[in-house]
Amino acid sequence: MNPAKYNSVTAEVADELKRIVGEKFVIFKDDEKLEPYSRDEIPGTEYRAMPEVVVRPGTAEEIALIMNLANREMIPVTPRGAGSGLSGGAVPVFGGIVVSMDRMNEIIEVDKENMMITVEAGVVSNEINERLKDDGLFYAGYPMSLETCFIGGNVAENAGGGKAVKYGVTSRYVLGLEVVTPTGEIVQLGGKRIKDVTGYNILQLMVGSEGTLGFFTKIILKLMPLPKYQVDLLCLFNTSREAIDVVPRIMTEGGVIPTSIEFMDKLAVKTTCDYLNETLPYENAGAMLLISVDGSDKARLEEEYELIGEFCEKAGATEVYVADNPTTSERIWKIRRNIAEACSLITPRQCGEDIVVPPASIPVMISEFDKICGKFDVTIPCFGHAGDGNLHARIVSNPDWTDEYWHDILPKILVELYALTKKLGGTLSGEHGIGCKRKKYIGHVVSEVYINLMRAVKNAFDPNHILNPGKIFD
Amino acid sequence: MRIIVPIKQVPETKSVRMDESTGTVIREGVESIINPLDLYAIELALQIKEKLGGEVVALTMGPPKALEALKEAVAMGVDEARLVSDRVFGGSDTWATSDALSEAIRKIGNFDLIICGERATDGDTGQVGPGIAAFLDIPVLSYVNKLAEINDDECVVHRLIERGEDVSSCGYPLLLTVVKEVSDPRLPTLRGKKKAKNLDIPVWGEKDLGLDASLLGLKGSPTRVAKIFRPKVTRECEMTVANDHTSIEAACANVAEFLTRRNLI
Repeated sequence: MNPAKYNSVTAEVADELKRIVGEKFVIFKDDEKLEPYSRDEIPGTEYRAMPEVVVRPGTAEEIALIMNLANREMIPVTPRGAGSGLSGGAVPVFGGIVVSMDRMNEIIEVDKENMMITVEAGVVSNEINERLKDDGLFYAGYPMSLETCFIGGNVAENAGGGKAVKYGVTSRYVLGLEVVTPTGEIVQLGGKRIKDVTGYNILQLMVGSEGTLGFFTKIILKLMPLPKYQVDLLCLFNTSREAIDVVPRIMTEGGVIPTSIEFMDKLAVKTTCDYLNETLPYENAGAMLLISVDGSDKARLEEEYELIGEFCEKAGATEVYVADNPTTSERIWKIRRNIAEACSLITPRQCGEDIVVPPASIPVMISEFDKICGKFDVTIPCFGHAGDGNLHARIVSNPDWTDEYWHDILPKILVELYALTKKLGGTLSGEHGIGCKRKKYIGHVVSEVYINLMRAVKNAFDPNHILNPGKIFD
Repeated sequence: MRIIVPIKQVPETKSVRMDESTGTVIREGVESIINPLDLYAIELALQIKEKLGGEVVALTMGPPKALEALKEAVAMGVDEARLVSDRVFGGSDTWATSDALSEAIRKIGNFDLIICGERATDGDTGQVGPGIAAFLDIPVLSYVNKLAEINDDECVVHRLIERGEDVSSCGYPLLLTVVKEVSDPRLPTLRGKKKAKNLDIPVWGEKDLGLDASLLGLKGSPTRVAKIFRPKVTRECEMTVANDHTSIEAACANVAEFLTRRNLI
C-alpha cells in the first residue's frame, strides 16, 4: 500500500459525498469537527491522523455509492464505529474519508422464535441487552466499553470481553451480516441459520477483519436465555502470584466454568479506586480476582459460588466479597470496567497490551512481567480476562524518562514481551486487534505464509486497497 | 454498645416501574435490595461496634421475602436479625410502621443506639426513623453526616442542615438517621453469607408484639396514597449559544446574568 497512489479529497469530491448522504452529514474543511475522528482510545498522540472528510451515511446503499466514488477517485476510506478501539483500527492513517456508522443505530428486529436479533452497526452494545431484558433473552458479548462501543466495532474486532471464559467471543454469536464490500457491492453473508456450510465461511472471515474487508450494515446475532441470577465474588489475595495461580485451577480442580474470571493487580485496583472514589479495602491486597457465576437455579449457583470462594480462601485469599444483587454487582464491575480509563490518566507515555496465552500459562506469563519490569525499569499494571488467558498489561514509562527515550525503548520491550508470549503458545492480541498499532509486530508471531494468505484475501476483496489501508499488515 | 439498625427492603432502583392506574410500585419480577441509604446506617453501626465492642441487630418489617435483606445485613457483619412479618401489617404507612417497629425494638430491649438510613428510596418520606424515636420517646438526631466522637456515655455528631452543619452531642438511648456522607458501606463477605445462610432469624407477628389490631396495617394508617403520577417538568430551560470566539462574550454575560438574577452568584 503506497500512500503516494491515493488522491486528496477535493471540494468536488466533498460535494459529491454531500449529494450522496445529505449536506448536514458531511464534515469538510473544519479541523475542529474533524479532529475527534482522528483517533481512538489509545493513550497518547502517536496513533492519530486527521481525516480529510467525515461522512455519516444512513443506509447501505449510501455506503456503496461512497465506495464507488472512493475507488474511482482513489481515496482511502476508513470505517468508524464509536471510536472506542485500542489498536488504531478507526484511525485514517492515510487521511481520506472516514465513514462514521453512528447514524445507523437501529435495532431492526427481535426474533424471539429464533432467539436472534438483527441490528445495525451503530447500535451501542449495551442497548441490545437493555432492549432484550424483558424478553428473558440476552446477547453474551460483554466488552468492557459496552456503555459506549458499537456492535459493528465488536464484530469488526471480534471483541472478547468479560464473559468469554464461559460464553466465548463475538464470532460465536454472529450468524449473518449484510456487507458493503470495498468495491461498493452489497452482499448477504450467512443468515438466521444455526448451521450453514454453503461454500466458504466468508461470514466468519469478516468477523475480526478490523474494517479492512467491508462495512457491516446489518448484523444478525444469536441470543441465549437470560440467566436469572448472577453472583460476583471479589477475592483479595496477598500477591499477584497467589491470585493468578488460582485462575486455571478454579476450572480444572474446582470443576466450575465461571462466567468471568478477571484479574486486577494492586496498581490497577488502586489507580481505579482512586479514580472512582471507591473505598474498597485494597491497601492490604496485592491483587484481586473478580469471579462471576450465572445461572437460573439459585440453589445451584449458591453451591457454585461457595465452592469457588472456599477454593480461593484455601489458596490464600484473605477476603472474599459476595455481590448477589445488581447494585453491589455493578459496584464491583464498575471498578473493572474503569481500569483502562483510570490507568490512561497516569501518563501519556504508556502502551496498553492485549496479549493472550493458553489459560494454564497465565501464572508463568505474570512472573515474566516482573522480569521485564526489572530489566527495563518500567511498571506494568496488569489486569484482564485472566480466565481466558487474555491479559491487558500496560507498559508504563518510568516518569523520569524523556519522550525520545520512551519511543526508543518501547519497541525493545514489546519485542521481548511478544517473544515470551509466543514461546508460551500465545499471541499479540486477544481482542483489541492489530490495527496500525501492532502491525509492525505481527511478523513476530505469525509466519510469512500466513501474512501472504491474508494479503491475497485483501487483494481479492479490495484490489485498489481503498478500505482501511495501513492496518494489520503491509 | 448494643445497636439496632432498622432497615427496609426496596425494589432495585434501576428497575422500578409504577402502575399509574393503581398508584403502586410494580414489584413483580423486580429484584429487591436493602434500601441503599440503610447501608450507610449498617456500616456506621459496624464501625461503632468495631470501636467499642457490643452487638448490632438488624430489624425489618415486611413480607417473608424481606428475610433476604436481613441476611444481606448479616453477610455484611451484623450479628443478629429480627423480621416483623404478618399479613395484618400489610399496607402500613409510616405511622403504623414506626409503631410496629418501635414495639419490636422494645421486645429486643436493652439497646443504646438506633441507627436508621435517612429515608427509603421507594417511599422517600424519611419519617420512620424519627417516628420510631417518637414512639419510644427517645431523642433523635437526624441527617447525621459525620460521627465525630463516640464513647460508652455519649456521641458527638455533625448534622447536615439547610445552611451548613450543626454539631450535637447526646447520651443514650438515642436514634440517629444518617445521610450517605457518614460512611462507605462495606461489601458482604463469603463468611458473612455462610453465617447468614445458617442463621435462624426470629419472625415476629401481631401476637408476638402484642399490638392493638386496630392500630396495624391499613386500618392503623392515618395517611393514604391518594394519587401517584409522574410530574410534568415545569422548569424552563434558557439556551444561550456560543458558536465561536465572537459570540462567547455575550453568551458568558447571559449565563452570569441568569445566575445573578437567581442570587446564585
